[in-house]
Amino acid sequence: MKRYTILTLALLAFASMAFGQAFGTTGTTNLTITVGPELAIRVDTATTPLTNTGGFSNFTGTTNYSYKVRTGSVTTANIKLQVTTDFSPSGGPSVGNGDTLTYACSAVAPATACSGTPAASTSSQTSVATFASGAKSNNGTGSVAWTLVDNPAWDPGAYQATVTFTASLT
Amino acid sequence: MTMPLTRRMGALALVLSSCAIGQVATFTQTVNVQLAPAGKLSSPATLGMVTPGGFLPFSGNLLLNYRARTTFSTGSATITLQSATEVSPSGGPTIASGSLTYTCGAAQVGVGCAGTQVVSTTLQRKVVDIPAGVCMGGGSPCSAANPASVPLQFSMDNNPGYDPGSYNVRLLFTISSL
Repeated sequence: MKRYTILTLALLAFASMAFGQAFGTTGTTNLTITVGPELAIRVDTATTPLTNTGGFSNFTGTTNYSYKVRTGSVTTANIKLQVTTDFSPSGGPSVGNGDTLTYACSAVAPATACSGTPAASTSSQTSVATFASGAKSNNGTGSVAWTLVDNPAWDPGAYQATVTFTASLT
Repeated sequence: MTMPLTRRMGALALVLSSCAIGQVATFTQTVNVQLAPAGKLSSPATLGMVTPGGFLPFSGNLLLNYRARTTFSTGSATITLQSATEVSPSGGPTIASGSLTYTCGAAQVGVGCAGTQVVSTTLQRKVVDIPAGVCMGGGSPCSAANPASVPLQFSMDNNPGYDPGSYNVRLLFTISSL
């Protein structure tokens, strides 16, 4: 008799687990989330005009961006850029063919802006900002100040390139 | 004493007749059943909320099942939600700051909450209002939905200020019926 009783109780317990919580006047649900490290950016200057003042002076312009970051205790992060579509139409500047498009970085903490004036590339990503471990910000900002060296060989006209900013955890 | 044959046959016929007709008796019994208003619900044991990234909120869907029987014309039932605990451990979102909200989908029986509700540790927030005269199962005029259900969509802030890690909070659903 004892054996049957124990078996019945075991089956009831199994049924309870298999079909979820029983009906009652109250019910509880444990809600869980896992917060992970993240970095997200938004380019605030959708189109950055590069202008010069004539006399073959450099073309310049500034692209602004915003970021949110949470790197955690062991994770770092960075923002990089790359010229993903070279200037078009042809006859004008071409980063891929050796025209010099450089930039200077600025960013508010906890970002560390790139140093110097890196040259943008069509073949590789170059640094814009880095974030150390433990970085947190809900409203960070930064900017990239562009310089394109004018060249008398270019045909007069309007040219456009696409630069892609990428945020990554490392 | 010897019974005449005809009389003996008559007695036999009476017995047979009684057996053929059977013992048919009709009694009338009035049964009164007093059905009290009642309500029961069942919620899933756990709900994992996830974010697609980019600091978009954590979200998760939950299907709450319930049964209710309310008093005709004057009754009602209400399902409410309250946080039984604060989010733990600390360092992440908090109920006190209004980080956890939910919206109700269409309730199969009754009317689900309207708009976005902020989960509280001290106040019971409405989930479903069930009107008078509701019953479920057992055919018309009761609802065919037994149990009925209401979908709930939860949303939790994803603030960069939170410490990375796992957090949990216990939600308490309550149904009261009249």
